[in-house]
Amino acid sequence: MTRLTGGLIDRSKPLHFTFNGQGYKGYAGDTLASALLANGVQLMGRSFKYHRPRGVFSAGSEEPNALVTLRDGARSEPNTRATVTELYDGLTAKSQNHIGPLDRDLLAINDRLAPFFAAGFYYKTFMWPRAFWEKLYEPAIRKAAGLGELSMLPDPDAYDKGFLHCDVLIVGAGAAGLSAALTAGRAGAKVILADEDFQFGGRLLAESDLLDEAPACDWVNCTLAELDSLPNVCIMPRTTVFGTYDHGIYGAVEKVADHLPVPGNHVRQTLWRITAKSCVLAAGAIERHIPFADNDRPGIMLSGAMRAYANRWAAAPVKSPSDPVAIFTNGDDGHRTALDLIAKGAPVLGVIDTREDAPKFGDYQLFSGSTVTGSKGRLGLTSIQITRNGQSSWHDVGALAVGGGWNPNVHLSSHHRGRPVWDDTLLAFVPSPNGPKGMHPAGAAAGQGGTQASLTDGMRAALAALTEIGVIGAEITLPKAENRPSEQEAYWHVPGKKRAWVDFQNDVTVKDIALSHKENMRSVEHLKRWTTLGMATDQGKTSNISALAVMAELSGATIPETGTTIFRPPCTGVSLAVLGGGDTGKHFRPTRLTPTHHWAEAQGAEFVEVGAWMRAQYFPQDGETHWRQSVDREVKAVRSSVGLCDVTTLGKIDVQGADAGEFLNRVYANMMGTLKVGMVRYGLMLREDGHLYDDGTCARLSEEHYVVTTTTANAGPVYRNMEFAHQCLWPELDVQLISTTDAWAQIAVAGPRSRELLSRIVDDFDISNEAFPFMACSELTICKGLRARLFRISFSGELAYEIAVPARYGHALMERLMEQGRDLGATPYGTEALAVLRIEKGHAAGAELNGQTTAAMLGLVKMVSAKKDSIGAVMSRREGLAKDTRRLVGLKPVNGAMQVRAGSHLFTKGAEQNLSTDQGWVTSSCYSPHVGCYIALGYLVNGDTRQGEIISAANPLEGQEFDVEVVSAHFVDPEGVRLRD
Amino acid sequence: MTDLTPITALGAQTARQETFGALTITENADLGIASLALRKGQEAPTVFGLTLPDVGKISGTDGTSAFWTSAGQWMIMGAGQGTSDFAKTVKDEAPACSVTEQTDGFAAFELTSDAETLERLMTKLVNLPASAFSAGCAARTGLEHMTVFLVRPSETTLTVIGMRTFADALWHALSTAAKRLET
Repeated sequence: MTRLTGGLIDRSKPLHFTFNGQGYKGYAGDTLASALLANGVQLMGRSFKYHRPRGVFSAGSEEPNALVTLRDGARSEPNTRATVTELYDGLTAKSQNHIGPLDRDLLAINDRLAPFFAAGFYYKTFMWPRAFWEKLYEPAIRKAAGLGELSMLPDPDAYDKGFLHCDVLIVGAGAAGLSAALTAGRAGAKVILADEDFQFGGRLLAESDLLDEAPACDWVNCTLAELDSLPNVCIMPRTTVFGTYDHGIYGAVEKVADHLPVPGNHVRQTLWRITAKSCVLAAGAIERHIPFADNDRPGIMLSGAMRAYANRWAAAPVKSPSDPVAIFTNGDDGHRTALDLIAKGAPVLGVIDTREDAPKFGDYQLFSGSTVTGSKGRLGLTSIQITRNGQSSWHDVGALAVGGGWNPNVHLSSHHRGRPVWDDTLLAFVPSPNGPKGMHPAGAAAGQGGTQASLTDGMRAALAALTEIGVIGAEITLPKAENRPSEQEAYWHVPGKKRAWVDFQNDVTVKDIALSHKENMRSVEHLKRWTTLGMATDQGKTSNISALAVMAELSGATIPETGTTIFRPPCTGVSLAVLGGGDTGKHFRPTRLTPTHHWAEAQGAEFVEVGAWMRAQYFPQDGETHWRQSVDREVKAVRSSVGLCDVTTLGKIDVQGADAGEFLNRVYANMMGTLKVGMVRYGLMLREDGHLYDDGTCARLSEEHYVVTTTTANAGPVYRNMEFAHQCLWPELDVQLISTTDAWAQIAVAGPRSRELLSRIVDDFDISNEAFPFMACSELTICKGLRARLFRISFSGELAYEIAVPARYGHALMERLMEQGRDLGATPYGTEALAVLRIEKGHAAGAELNGQTTAAMLGLVKMVSAKKDSIGAVMSRREGLAKDTRRLVGLKPVNGAMQVRAGSHLFTKGAEQNLSTDQGWVTSSCYSPHVGCYIALGYLVNGDTRQGEIISAANPLEGQEFDVEVVSAHFVDPEGVRLRD
Repeated sequence: MTDLTPITALGAQTARQETFGALTITENADLGIASLALRKGQEAPTVFGLTLPDVGKISGTDGTSAFWTSAGQWMIMGAGQGTSDFAKTVKDEAPACSVTEQTDGFAAFELTSDAETLERLMTKLVNLPASAFSAGCAARTGLEHMTVFLVRPSETTLTVIGMRTFADALWHALSTAAKRLET
């Protein structure tokens, strides 16, 4: 055990956990990393590429090395950072990315082959033979270079989402965040204080600084108690704000139950969308290291992290308490680590400071003007080489702290294309003053890292935020912090011939950056892609600035001239499960059910998704073993007797007003103002560019009242476009629009016996051909007084009607029609039969109105009225469209056994087949029980004059080509007698 | 009186009600709804004695109420009018306006609990500042990718009105969020 005295762990609450099957003990308040360190465990994983032994490097979410697989079975979670994993009783963790035991990884051979794995080796090595890439190279690379592995089992836990609104969002609960929260909270503003840690205080918990001559955690606890008592302040621990989005929206993940063995009744994580009028970014800073030869051994970690482990978690990062610790730094901050460790009784070798005039702050050995130039230790650090003026000596150490300065956490301030700016005094990038609107960086995140400076800056930022949103705030009394020196020099890496790691997670060294530069990867973005520096789970939080410094040195440019890569959310890893919002399977997205859905379900219908709708596709009956049998039966029933189909999904838009007719004249290509009351007209809508947009029917219920129907797919867009036209194009018209799609259940009653069936349910209403002819409509009552609407329209080509009733009666109406029509052969039919019927009749649907077709192509050019203007009418007459000679035709295979497929292209028989000889394409096809073979619709050049011609239908994707005959698109009743019968 | 038997938006003969701790969700299958839109240049009429409310507001009583939906447009609601021709009743009240039947266009779910619970639930459902959505407020917003109207007639009642064909999905969303409040 290397547990030190003190710390903020609760020694009265021991926790037991395992790592790679070995049992250990920690305490409440520990992280997995601190508990392992306290148990003398330094080796925690293997590196990505070279499989080098790795241990903890940091004490926060920036951790590049200590990635473990947490939990077992379906809850197994790879790539979890041990440094932010709150310890719980029964925790199980495993190291990852090795074959065989962790300390004898077979893939450590990769390290011997390192010369072959230099920067860009993927791109250079696996170029040929080409066929090897998919089958050999990629699987081999993935096998060798992965990190953790997914369980491939469904995640058993629940996730949630939610929305929060506040005046001031404070990101980070360290010194700056807490003083900001207190300032804003006391002003009465609605405050959200979020921190990724389970314990608030940030670096105040990690340092030995006193506040008002008392431990800093005393002030933290007092402040939290006050904040907790304020009803306007919401405190959110374990909550990571990961992204800045438009309009003051921030994304955050709250780890609700990650610290529990199993979530139980809790959700595991919640995704919060926080809308904040203003934001104080108090996210702190991340320390950078100083690359030197072999600087990646377990036991080498960031200086501030070592202090945190000693002060907060009472853990020394050595295998044995007697192992000495050394500190390598370029500034005063590193000396604090030495002082804190000495205060805890840990043996300290000394401080190696790159500065010739380095000050000494305590009773320890100072190696001024010196650097660390090498290290030894196969599975953990055993010694370091210290060099001064070319003179080197080796020293035994158990751990080395490295401190190269601090980088403000500028990520959230850099999301909206905010570009951080370089501060020459701080030797760091700080948030841009032109960052996201309403955001106020504060404390270490703004480059004000000293404790007193952080406290003051947090208050300043909060007051600025309050002023911005019109809330009056007042300065608060802040505690007095100790004054700590913080001088440093610009020292970015130790030159040398051996490998010095810059990015630990991706195994990118100074040499890799130099090679990349040599190979002309001069942009920082190119460097990133060529070397993979800054990628993966840590996104280069401990490496990016060091890499920029190395690049700058190589190019002779300054660091700000070298620039940074673009910051994009999320700034830290977010699970896909929580991003998904919690619903899975059939609830992943909401579905719409038709009024007869439950009835259809009871009939054993197969359903198909049509947008959000679930529609009955066909109704299998006993003995039918293939869907075609069901569909053929349903089609024949409609052609011979009567079929019933729920067509509620078609959009219905109620149009009223004195100018309703004029409005519809402008929306539809054809004339609607002249439609007689009690009649229905087929209508075409065009896009503004003149192409077909939508088709449907328009019924006139009274002088100033129409009902427009749209296709299912375009119900929403057509309504939206009509509203746009109403509100923006022609606001002078007196017209009122509203959707009624859901209000009415609409059932198609189609077939030669449809009139007979309907006559059995209407109340005193004459539906004879004379009284209620083709394209008539009326309001009426059915089934003893139920209000209904009846339309005599036909999609199938048969005598047909559509009847609408208030949706709650749709189910009962379907039952009644089936019951009343039993002797007539009434048969329910689904979308498959619906499609067959309309193809047989030559009616257009979505495949024919695909956004690239015109009224002329459908043979309906005369419907684009020349007597009035309408949306798209002028553009439909432009030369490019008017000269298009492709026309809708019917197609029938010469060999009746062949199956024409939609998407096939049409060519003149015997002609060469290429793009320039393409004559058109097949839009829809089906097996037609009426014709007795497959049939199709398609667009063909000069199709209106080529009936009887034999042409080729080619489908190279299916390896299919055969002859088809051009026929009328109306395979059924081309004269239209049946529907007028 | 028709001899056809209606079903609720959730597909049953009777309205669904379920309690989750301190919160109860009740399907209101008997709510009559009609939209009322002003003709061009028209002044807002008084309907059933109600002054039609301003943007984001509701007016009315337990019997008849109205909420604003758009410029010059409201939804009028009549308790216990689910099977009547409520649109005709509204049209008779405001004959000069455009009135459209909407009763079966929507499914209404009434959530009852204490104010704090309702507001906690709202944070999980809709992107609205829950504490500002006090009694007398109405809004149109998104809920689980569905468009809904939220109406808060009192501190202890929140009515969620969604498209009828989405009723099952809406119930799932509401009940899932309600269950999670219990934990």
